[in-house]
Amino acid sequence: MELGGLFANLSLGLSVAMTVQNLFWCLMGAVIGTAVGVLPGVGPTATMALLLPATYFLPPEGALIMLAGIYYGSQYGGSTTAILVNLPGEASSVVTTLDGHQMALQGRAGPALAIAAIGSFFAGTVATLAIAMAAPPLTKLAQQFAPADYFSLMALGLVFAVVLARGSALKAFGMIFLGMLLGLVGTDVNTGNTRFTFDISDLFDGLGFVPLVMGIFGIAEIMHNLADPQRRDLATAKISGLFPTMADIKRSIAPILRGTALGGLLGILPGGGAVLASFSAYTVEKKLSATPEKFGTGMIEGVAAPESANNAAAQTSFIPMLTLGIPSNAVMAMMIGGMMIHGIIPGPQVMEQRPGLFWGMIVSMWLGNLMLVVLNLPLIGIWVRMLLVPYRLLAIAILFFCCIGVYSLNNSANEVLIIALFGVIGYLLMKLDCEPAPLLLGFLLGPMMEVYMRRAMLLSRGDPWVFLQRPLSLTFLAIAVLLMVFILLPNIRRARETAFQE
Amino acid sequence: MRIKSGQDFAAGLLFIAVGVAAFWIGADYPMGTPQRPGTGVLPRILAWCLIGTGALLWLKALLVEGPNLTRWAWRPVIMISLATVAFALLVDRLGLVVAMLVSMTLAALGTPQTRWLEYAVFTLVMVAIGVGMFVYGLRMPIPIWPKDLPGALSWN
Repeated sequence: MELGGLFANLSLGLSVAMTVQNLFWCLMGAVIGTAVGVLPGVGPTATMALLLPATYFLPPEGALIMLAGIYYGSQYGGSTTAILVNLPGEASSVVTTLDGHQMALQGRAGPALAIAAIGSFFAGTVATLAIAMAAPPLTKLAQQFAPADYFSLMALGLVFAVVLARGSALKAFGMIFLGMLLGLVGTDVNTGNTRFTFDISDLFDGLGFVPLVMGIFGIAEIMHNLADPQRRDLATAKISGLFPTMADIKRSIAPILRGTALGGLLGILPGGGAVLASFSAYTVEKKLSATPEKFGTGMIEGVAAPESANNAAAQTSFIPMLTLGIPSNAVMAMMIGGMMIHGIIPGPQVMEQRPGLFWGMIVSMWLGNLMLVVLNLPLIGIWVRMLLVPYRLLAIAILFFCCIGVYSLNNSANEVLIIALFGVIGYLLMKLDCEPAPLLLGFLLGPMMEVYMRRAMLLSRGDPWVFLQRPLSLTFLAIAVLLMVFILLPNIRRARETAFQE
Repeated sequence: MRIKSGQDFAAGLLFIAVGVAAFWIGADYPMGTPQRPGTGVLPRILAWCLIGTGALLWLKALLVEGPNLTRWAWRPVIMISLATVAFALLVDRLGLVVAMLVSMTLAALGTPQTRWLEYAVFTLVMVAIGVGMFVYGLRMPIPIWPKDLPGALSWN
């Protein structure tokens, strides 16, 4: 691709992102994100859900810039507590506790934090460039997609989300179908018939995205966390000397590069995202290391690689969302929710119709990463003190913000009742060990798939073979089937083995 | 046959129940023609997929050892639900302050860890923040106080 176009795009983005307003929203997002990253039990998904109604009051650029900031900010915050107090604020920084906290116990918290921040910043920069370069060609490709191709691509995305998700694949499939079914509630736009509304007029427009996610991610999490109070050991390691030694830096360069590459690639895949990236990066470093037995005792490589990887993945997971309009994880589903609140239909047309928004958001991610490095390292003491707020109070505050947030969307008290319902459903699903993320993807993609399915069938005059006749569509479906066989086979084999043993 | 994983079995039951319900409720949704698929096509496909997934989970629950169901934490589940419902029912009728006080008290009852003095101070601060931020700051049209108490209590 031509480099001039890239620079023109990035400078357009810079002009949008550098306005005082948008810098402020970027900062707000990064700060809020760090705060929720620090606090265990309050994740980026729940926070973004909480703030979705508030973004209604912002211009779309500011809204999306802030929402994005919350996501990558939480990656930074999560690693801070992982290193200092052995508490991963986010699932993506679980592996950082292994060596990061050991380093802190040895009095080397400073270098660990600094390397984590530097690695994250480097990864964020590379990933931002990757988005800027990958977006235009992917968008161009997406514009040639026929309805059948889109349908198959979405099916593939959902299968990917199952394959890469943690836990049982069967349950993940069930959750996708459940989500798609929930997405169908309301009036069918093509025919005007209502579906699953039970004659309740509030449901004629469908279930709201915000009440659904607030119930499942906000209310249900409060119930879960109150039931199972976490011990918070605040025996904080002292931070003495922030600067890593030359030896530290030398040892970290290769892990940061590998972590960035691995995380960047895994981030693009649906369902993967930051968690998978950090785990894989740690495993790779351990495999490549000359002294694998030393991992877990405070190896700086064990901090540098996963922290770079989770940040790279956090950034590149924007690629399918921005270019194809397909959310690859729960956080991207929130971003799409944010777009829809402002009447922007996510998809390849966003880049052409709203270039300012598109490139502004990409550049703001890089600025936000810079802000995080500059702001966070000196502020670490304050962040750690936030852990002193007991969860019993946080729970009350979160509950209130959920209620008022949903109420404020349409001034409708009935939507608050919906979050109570989905809170209980969310808790039930947690108890059954059913991850809620696939449900959310199904909820968003189900209605879209129906639209594309209908268009494809109309164009083919009712011939269902159209999904196998178009080469792109056939390729997507073939990969999806292969992945499904791949994931289901070991389960079947294991089930058989256990059955035979009896 | 013995159920080896109560969790998988219950998840299967949930999927099958929802699938059957969806099939039953959606039984009279029109199917349309192949060229113009109707309202009922996707609900029916999804219902079958859910039932199929549930059945596979049942099979798995019978064949593979897995985790059993764990106890429900009834106290937070009930109290947090009640707190949310209370907010929904009260905010239009009795205003934001009363709704917040009732809802937050119910939430505080959801955990034995609540310390009531700390809770009282925190709640008052939250009410001040809530009213200041949402009613005065964002100018949301929410009543702060009950407009007329007898009318509000008549519950229409």
